[in-house]
Amino acid sequence: MLKSVTIFTTNTCAYCHMVKKYLSIKGVKYDEVNLDENPHRASEAQQLSGVLTVPVTVVTKIDNSQEVIVGYNLARLAPAIV
Amino acid sequence: MDLVDEIVLFGADWCPDCHRSIDFLNKMKIKFIYHDIDKQPEYKKKMLELTEGRNVIPTIILPNGNILQEPSNQELSKALGLDIDQINSQNKSIHELIIIGGGPAALTAAIYTTRERIETLVLEKGVVGGMAAVTDIIDNYPGFEEGISGIDLSDHLQKQAERFGAVIDYNEVLEISKDSAGLKKLKTVNGDLYARAVLIATGSDYKKVKIPGEEEYFARGVHYCATCDGAFYRDKKIAVIGGGNSAIQETLFLTRFASHIDLLVRSSIKASDILQEKIEQYVKEGKITVYLQTKTLAIEGENNEVKSVLIENKSGKKSQIKVDGVFVFVGLDPNSKFLIGSGVQLDEIGFIKTDNNLQTAIDGVFAAGDIRSGATMQIASAVGEGATAALKIRHYLED
Ligand SMILES: Cc1cc2nc3c(=O)[nH]c(=O)nc-3n(C[C@H](O)[C@H](O)[C@H](O)COP(=O)(O)OP(=O)(O)OC[C@H]3O[C@@H](n4cnc5c(N)ncnc54)[C@H](O)[C@@H]3O)c2cc1C
Repeated sequence: MLKSVTIFTTNTCAYCHMVKKYLSIKGVKYDEVNLDENPHRASEAQQLSGVLTVPVTVVTKIDNSQEVIVGYNLARLAPAIV
Repeated sequence: MDLVDEIVLFGADWCPDCHRSIDFLNKMKIKFIYHDIDKQPEYKKKMLELTEGRNVIPTIILPNGNILQEPSNQELSKALGLDIDQINSQNKSIHELIIIGGGPAALTAAIYTTRERIETLVLEKGVVGGMAAVTDIIDNYPGFEEGISGIDLSDHLQKQAERFGAVIDYNEVLEISKDSAGLKKLKTVNGDLYARAVLIATGSDYKKVKIPGEEEYFARGVHYCATCDGAFYRDKKIAVIGGGNSAIQETLFLTRFASHIDLLVRSSIKASDILQEKIEQYVKEGKITVYLQTKTLAIEGENNEVKSVLIENKSGKKSQIKVDGVFVFVGLDPNSKFLIGSGVQLDEIGFIKTDNNLQTAIDGVFAAGDIRSGATMQIASAVGEGATAALKIRHYLED
């Protein structure tokens, strides 16, 4: 069971757009951290993912376990949001 | 032992790959037990036990105890001891048209063909909208006097194609061939597909510069997509390698974030006058420094961070420039590797050769957009070629 989903995005990133579209189609609610609007949170995305890129999707489960998915990667995203 | 009775498939209703595996087993008339992990927590628990904690569906247990995670139909049939080629030729569902790629050329072709009631399946491996979707603002696409963002244009194209009935599937094509009946057979990551006609509109991908440090610091300081990763370089110093239209356009975009940009150009800048004028303005302001006739030899760093680039000028003098990140725009590589050996003829760089009807060397296989040899690498022309190809394909299918 999902507790929360957070996506780090920017306004211009097409892959972020694809992740958001995918989650919406699946009816999954998410919080978005837009790094153009919240530049100070860029280091948070980097710490979570280990890389300097978006989208970074953080899926937190009810038991507080976390999965961090970098990029638009359906093979990992689809099972993570079950 | 009754082998088939004991197959258990863990899946969920919303999962496309689960549906594919379920359809496949049903088509093969193989019995199985379906456990929907959304409906029963213990199914989810069991699935996680089987996958050692990985959230992967479909997860399939075979009677011999083997576990398959997210198998392709090919893998599944192999594990079940079935001959997939034989099965495919017996069960093939034949599409009128399959379009490979989901960029502007593909989506335009799909708008035309579906309006003409030609059943059309679009296969895209990455982002719908292709290269156009990852471009910030498109200023020269006719009809949008203020420019349009790449994401918006892609969204409009997708919705328009879907309005007429185009089906867009997330899938990658690995091979094309022709079967004995003249149908085109596409090997994909999700199994084989058949079509009467095929349009290849696979565009191109960013090229690498192939220098030390490039691989090592990929996404940790070396980037190929300014619209994706530029935001990490707010108030930082970066270098851009390249000097063509795309490199200059991306450099201008990156000025929004970076405090300073070193533009490293191997020979001279080859971009439109309007873009060059904009660059000159930033050079005057001191925000961009241009290095012409300069080779970039290496990207250097430590502790997983890029620290500098090593360059060499025309007279062979080497120097180091301190930067926090490097963006590479040194041209594009055609997405045509999957066509090697297929009979589709490529030019020396790898772009697809076509005749006046945009048909390739294989009858009924067409090409349009950036992937076509001689294409002008613009969205407006990719869209034009998509429309032309659609009309030629209609003729081909009518004959
Ligand atoms: C940085 C940059 C800026 C640009 N700016 C402009 C501009 O301002 N104006 C302009 O007119 N043009 C611009 N262009 C060029 C423009 O983006 C391209 O000309 C246009 O996108 C080409 O469209 P296409 O449909 O032919 O290919 P693409 O847009 O490249 O789409 C091809 C699609 O095919 C998919 N694909 C590839 N192989 C497979 C496979 N085997 N199976 C399934 N799918 C596959 C890819 O994932 C991709 O989505 C720019 C390009 C770049 C790189």
